[in-house]
Amino acid sequence: METVINDYISRELVRDPSLLPLAGDTSLLDNGVLDSLNLLRMVVFLEERFKIAVGDADLLPQNFSSVDAICAYVRAREPGKQAVAHG
Amino acid sequence: MGKGRAARLVRSLEGVAYWAAAAPLLARLPAVIGYRIACWRGDWVRRHQAGKRAELARNLGQLLAEEVSPATAQQVMRDWFRHASCEALDVMRLRHRARPLRRLVRVRGQEHLEAALAAGKGAILCSAHFGSYHSGFSVLHASGFPVTTIGRWQYKYTAGLSAAERRFWDRVYRRVRRHRQRPNIEPWPGRFQVAAQAAAALRAGEVVTISIDAPPLDSDQARAVDVAFLGRRARLLPGVVTLAQLTGAPVLTCFIYRSPDYRHQVLEISEPVPMDGETATAFGRCAAQVSAAIQRNPAHWVYWTSTADLVTLGLTPGEPGISAPAGPLPGERLVRDRTEPRVAIPG
Repeated sequence: METVINDYISRELVRDPSLLPLAGDTSLLDNGVLDSLNLLRMVVFLEERFKIAVGDADLLPQNFSSVDAICAYVRAREPGKQAVAHG
Repeated sequence: MGKGRAARLVRSLEGVAYWAAAAPLLARLPAVIGYRIACWRGDWVRRHQAGKRAELARNLGQLLAEEVSPATAQQVMRDWFRHASCEALDVMRLRHRARPLRRLVRVRGQEHLEAALAAGKGAILCSAHFGSYHSGFSVLHASGFPVTTIGRWQYKYTAGLSAAERRFWDRVYRRVRRHRQRPNIEPWPGRFQVAAQAAAALRAGEVVTISIDAPPLDSDQARAVDVAFLGRRARLLPGVVTLAQLTGAPVLTCFIYRSPDYRHQVLEISEPVPMDGETATAFGRCAAQVSAAIQRNPAHWVYWTSTADLVTLGLTPGEPGISAPAGPLPGERLVRDRTEPRVAIPG
């Protein structure tokens, strides 16, 4: 999962090559990787790739702050684990 | 007290009196009388605000000199101030499920919106700071279409407004907010969930409105694209296209036009705008429709007296000696969509 998400962000969303290779704990918000529209791209990707539903209440910085945070969020949203999802 | 400050105070008091006392009263009179008086008030404001008049004339001359004759420019100027005064009545007529205003607004092209929504992906209305757009969207919502607007309530952020002025505007626009499906989705820096929230509204089958003529914030300049606009090149944000491409929602244009009698309006919704091709290409089609609407009805565009915004859009050069007022006044139409807004339009 980490590889899939990291690859997607690195390929589609990162505009500053100096951020690559992208570390798991690199801040996607502070480095301007995830702006409003890129977050939507990310959400669409996660929903299609991992078959999860990202709700309004889940659109919190802590769920999308880094690759590691996104992975943790997706794991929590996997079927049977929604109860422990952030937000 | 300096002369300029005194003049500003008088304008401020006049604006408060008009919006807080006169407009609610006029909105309860028969429309033919109420809007007539609003026009007189617009004429009075035009006569007494030479600075705004000059700014409007100069910007109109710079951008639409070929389309607008001197005689037409005078008429545009007169109508611009009249429309601003009439807008207050529109807002005040949003009482009782907006029925008093709905009686005066004909929705044309509703079938396009219904067909778009039937596809189940919501619909995006691409619009502009044009005519009585706040009230127009409220009329649409009150007519049965769940409307959510992406836009900033400028009074919350405009520098130089006192707390009392913010409360005043908050109260004024409460009527507008009442006729929305959700609170405005406000795209300020740091609110990174804006597009995803808009997508959620679209998924729920709602109508999302976006005014694409807002000057980009400094933090958004990198995303702005150059498009043909009013015969020049302008830098605008193509978020409407990206949102449509990511969600599959159709984009239709929506403008509200005031008729020559000033009280009746037509809210016109277009067929879907093709979204194929590159983002800039698809966005160019949207910008072309907005541009054409402004060129056909220049008195409806609110940015004419907002030189700083026209400069940010890349439409007019910044000129030394031309500066915006220190801050907006009650009774002014707030149009500046930037982190440190400076300009307002007297209404």
